[in-house]
Amino acid sequence: MTELAQNLIDGLGRGSIYALLALGVAVVFGVMHLLNFAHGELITVGGYVALWTLGAGWSWYIVTPLIVLSAVLTSLAIERVAFSRVRGSSDFTLLLTSFGVHFVISAIFLLYVSASVKPFDRPSWVTNTYSVGPLNIEVYDTVVILVTVLTLIGTTLLLQRTMFGLSLRAAAADFDTARLMGVRSDTVIRGAFALSGLLAGIAGVFWLMRAGSISPGAGITPMLKGVLAALIGGLGSLRGAVIGGLALGLAEVLLRSRLPDSIASLTEGVVFLLIALLFIFRPQGLVTVKHAVRV
Amino acid sequence: MFPRPGRDIGFPIAGCALLFAVFLAGGLIYESFQGRAAERLVTVMLIDAIIVLGIQIYVGNTGVLSFGHIGFGAIAGYAFAVFAISPEEKLKRIPDAPFGLNDVLLNPALAVAVAIGVTVVVALVVGIGLARSGAESGAVAATVITLALLFVTHEVARNWPDLTGGNRAGLTFKVGAALDSRLPIYLCLLGALILARLFAQSRSGKLAVAAREDNLAARAMGVNPLVQQTAALLISVVVVSVGSSLRVYENGSILPDDFFFNYTLLTLAMLIVGGRNSVTGALVGVAVMTVGRELARRLGQDGFEVFGLSLDAGPLDWIFRENLQTVFLGLAMLGFMIFRSDGLLGDWELDAWLWRRWRRRIPEDQPEPLAEVAPVGLHAEVDREGAALEVHDLAVDFGGFRALDGAGLTVAPDEVVGLIGPNGAGKTTLVNVITGIVEPSAGWFKLGERELTGAPSHDIARAGLLRTFQNLRLFGALTVRQNVELAARVAVQHRPGSHPPVDALIAEAGLWDVRDRRARELDYGSARRLELARAAAMAPAYLLLDEPTSGMSDAESAEMIGRIRHMAAAVDAGVLVIDHDLNFITGISDRIYVLDQGQVISAGTPDEVQADPAVRAAYLGAESDAEG
Repeated sequence: MTELAQNLIDGLGRGSIYALLALGVAVVFGVMHLLNFAHGELITVGGYVALWTLGAGWSWYIVTPLIVLSAVLTSLAIERVAFSRVRGSSDFTLLLTSFGVHFVISAIFLLYVSASVKPFDRPSWVTNTYSVGPLNIEVYDTVVILVTVLTLIGTTLLLQRTMFGLSLRAAAADFDTARLMGVRSDTVIRGAFALSGLLAGIAGVFWLMRAGSISPGAGITPMLKGVLAALIGGLGSLRGAVIGGLALGLAEVLLRSRLPDSIASLTEGVVFLLIALLFIFRPQGLVTVKHAVRV
Repeated sequence: MFPRPGRDIGFPIAGCALLFAVFLAGGLIYESFQGRAAERLVTVMLIDAIIVLGIQIYVGNTGVLSFGHIGFGAIAGYAFAVFAISPEEKLKRIPDAPFGLNDVLLNPALAVAVAIGVTVVVALVVGIGLARSGAESGAVAATVITLALLFVTHEVARNWPDLTGGNRAGLTFKVGAALDSRLPIYLCLLGALILARLFAQSRSGKLAVAAREDNLAARAMGVNPLVQQTAALLISVVVVSVGSSLRVYENGSILPDDFFFNYTLLTLAMLIVGGRNSVTGALVGVAVMTVGRELARRLGQDGFEVFGLSLDAGPLDWIFRENLQTVFLGLAMLGFMIFRSDGLLGDWELDAWLWRRWRRRIPEDQPEPLAEVAPVGLHAEVDREGAALEVHDLAVDFGGFRALDGAGLTVAPDEVVGLIGPNGAGKTTLVNVITGIVEPSAGWFKLGERELTGAPSHDIARAGLLRTFQNLRLFGALTVRQNVELAARVAVQHRPGSHPPVDALIAEAGLWDVRDRRARELDYGSARRLELARAAAMAPAYLLLDEPTSGMSDAESAEMIGRIRHMAAAVDAGVLVIDHDLNFITGISDRIYVLDQGQVISAGTPDEVQADPAVRAAYLGAESDAEG
C-alpha cells in the first residue's frame, strides 16, 4: 500500500511534466494539424541558455524565466521560419518539416557548441525529500505537481475566458469554419505556438533541473514523451493530452518498480508494448475526439 | 485484363535493370577515378539504396511517413549478427546470451532468412496497430507509432547487453570474416529494385496508392486500406531486413546507434529528395545525397582545398566544420519539404516513361460505345426480383441534431430513383449511412436478402452499392485511365459476373481524349463524369449519385441526365440520385422521394410529387424564400 502510494506520487510528478509537454504538442496540433517533432528542441535551446547563464554565475531564480522566455521565442521563430511556409500542406510534409527543424537545431548545437554532454549546477533543493508518515516525498515532485496544476488552471482560464482561447478552441474544432467566422488564422497560429512554447518552457525548467546537463540530442526524449502522451490521450484533444501525459508517467513509474529486476531496464520496451496494445484495441486513444465526416 | 504483361511486368523489369546498370556504372566510374578511398563509399551507397528502396515500398505506396523502418532494420541486424557470428566470438561479447543462442551458427544466407523471419513477425504485430490507429486517427498517429518503435528498439538494444552486447561493445564478426564480395549486394539491390517496381504495379500496390490519394473514396469503392497497407509493410520490411543484414555484415559489427536517429534521417532524406512516390526517385535520391554528403564531409574537413583552390578558408571556418554533413541532411530535408515536397522526380518512373514513348507509336482507336442493354446482362445470375435496395426507418443523431428521423425508401434494380430535399434535409447523410461512412442510431438497410447495416464501407461497395461524392473525390495523382482501371481491378476480384470494359467506359464518359491526363488537372464537368465512370467500372448493382450535376450549367446538366441513364442501363445498375434541383431530379427519375428534416414527406412519380401540397410547402416554399 505504502509502495503504491509512493509510486503514485512519483508517477504524478513525472506525468505532470509529460502532461505539460503533451499539452503543448496538442495545442499546435489543434490549429495546424501539425505534430511537432521539434517540440523537444525548445528544451534544448532552454538547456543551453541555462548552461551559459548558470555558468556566468546567475542564480536559478533569474535563469528560470529566461529558459521559459527562450522557449517561447524559439517556438515563435520556428513557426515564422519553417511552419508558416507549409501551412495547409499534407500530413507527410508537415511531419517531415518538423522532423527537419528538429535536426537542424540539434545539428547547429552539435556544430557550434559541442557534441559532448555539458553539466551545470542543479538547484540544491532538487534532491531534498521530506516525510509524510511512511512516504518519502521529493520536494522536486511537490513543486512540479503544484506548478503543473497552476499552469493547467491558468491555461484552462485562458482557453475558456479569453477571446484568444475561444478562437483557439474553435480553430482546433474546425479550422476552416473558424476562419469563415472571422478567426484570424495568423493570430491564432502564432498564439498557439507561443502557448506551446510557454508550456514547453515550464516543463523544460523542471526537465533541466532534474537532468543537470545538456547535449545537442537532449530534446529527443522529452519530444518523444510529449508526442506519445498526446497520442495516447487522443490526438486533437487538449484534455486527452493531459490525461495521456499523466497515464504515461504513472505507467513508467509503476512498471519500473513492479517488473522483475532482470527486465526492469527494459521498462521503455514494456511501456511501448502496452501502448501498441492500446492502439490495437482502442485505436483512437483514451479520449475520443468526434470529427464530423465531410463528404 | 490485369496485369498487362508489357506495361506491368516486362517494362518495369527492363527499366529496373537499366536503372541498376546506370546507378552501378556511376559508382564504379567514380571509384576508378578515386581509387580505393572511394570503394567503401560506393559499397555503402549500394547498401543504403537497398534500405531506401525498402522504405519506399511502404512510404511511397501508402503515403504514411515511417520512422520505424530503421527500427525494423535494427531488429534484423541484431538477428542476423546473433545467428551469423561464430560461437567463439559471441563468447567474448555475450557469454550469457539467452535461449542458448550462444551455440548457434548459421551460414550468412540462412542468417538473413532468420533475420527476415524475426522482423516480419514483429512487423505483423506493429502493422496491425499501425493500420488500425491509422484508419481511426489518420496517418499522423501511425507515424508516431513508428517513431516509438524506433526508440524502443534502440532502448532495448542498449539495455539488453546479454543479447546485443549493449551500448559500447556491440556485436562483432571475427576480423576478416565480414562481407568480402560485392556480388550479394548487387543481386540484392537489383532484386529490391524489381520488387519495389513490381509491387507498385501490382494490384495491392495500386490499391494502396488509391487509399493514399483518398482514403474515404478508396474505401467507398471496395478497397480495404488495412490489408493493402499491411501487405506493403511486410514486403518493405523484408527488403529492409536484407539491406540491414548486409549493412551489418559489411560493417563487421553492430551497435545500437548504427540503426537510430542519424541513419533514419539519412535514409528519409534520400527518399524524399529523390521523390518518395517513385522507385526511380528513391535511387536518384540515394545518389544525390551520397554525393552531397560526401562533398559536405570533405568541405567540413578541408574547406575549399577539396577543389584544389588555395582560397584562404579562414573567414569561412565557421561553416566548414566537422559535423557539416548532419546540418546538410537536415537542411536538405527541410528545403525539399518547404519548396518541393514531392522531391526531384515526383512520381516519374523510367519504365513508365519508356512505355508511354513505346505506346505512342501504336495508335489507339476510340473504343466501341457501350451497348445500351448489355447483350448478356451483367448480373444475369442475380435474382432480379429479390435484389431491391431497401432502406428502412433510418435515424442518425449528430450530438443533439437529428439528421435522419425514420427515413426509408426502396429502389428496384432497373429504376432511377430521385431523392430530393432542401439543404440540410439529410440527403447526404442517408447516402453516408448506406455506404457505411456514418453509423445509424436506428433502422436498417439491405440489398436483396443481404442486410448491410453496420458493415464497413469496403464490404458495402463490394456488395454492389457504389457512390459518387458531392465534393468530388478522385485519385488526383492518377490518370483518368488509372482511376477507372483501379475500380475495374477491385471489380475483377470482388464482383462476380462480367465487367464493363474500361476503355469503353472512359469513352462513354466523354473522357477518351484526356485519358492520360491526371485526374486533378480535369475541369469540373470532366471530373464529375470521371467519378461516374469510376463507379460504373465496379459493375455496381446500384449507383448512388450525390449531386452529380452540382456546379454544372443547365446544358451540361441536361447532357448528364442522358449519360447517367445510358451508363446505368449499360452496366445494368439501378440508380439513386440525390439533388436539390427539382428540374434535374424530375428530368432523370422514374420515381421521387422528398426528404425534409430527416423524414420522407412524399413519394411517387415526378408528376405526383410536384402536385403534392406538402412538398410545395416544405420544399418549394423553402426555395422561393431563398430566392426572394
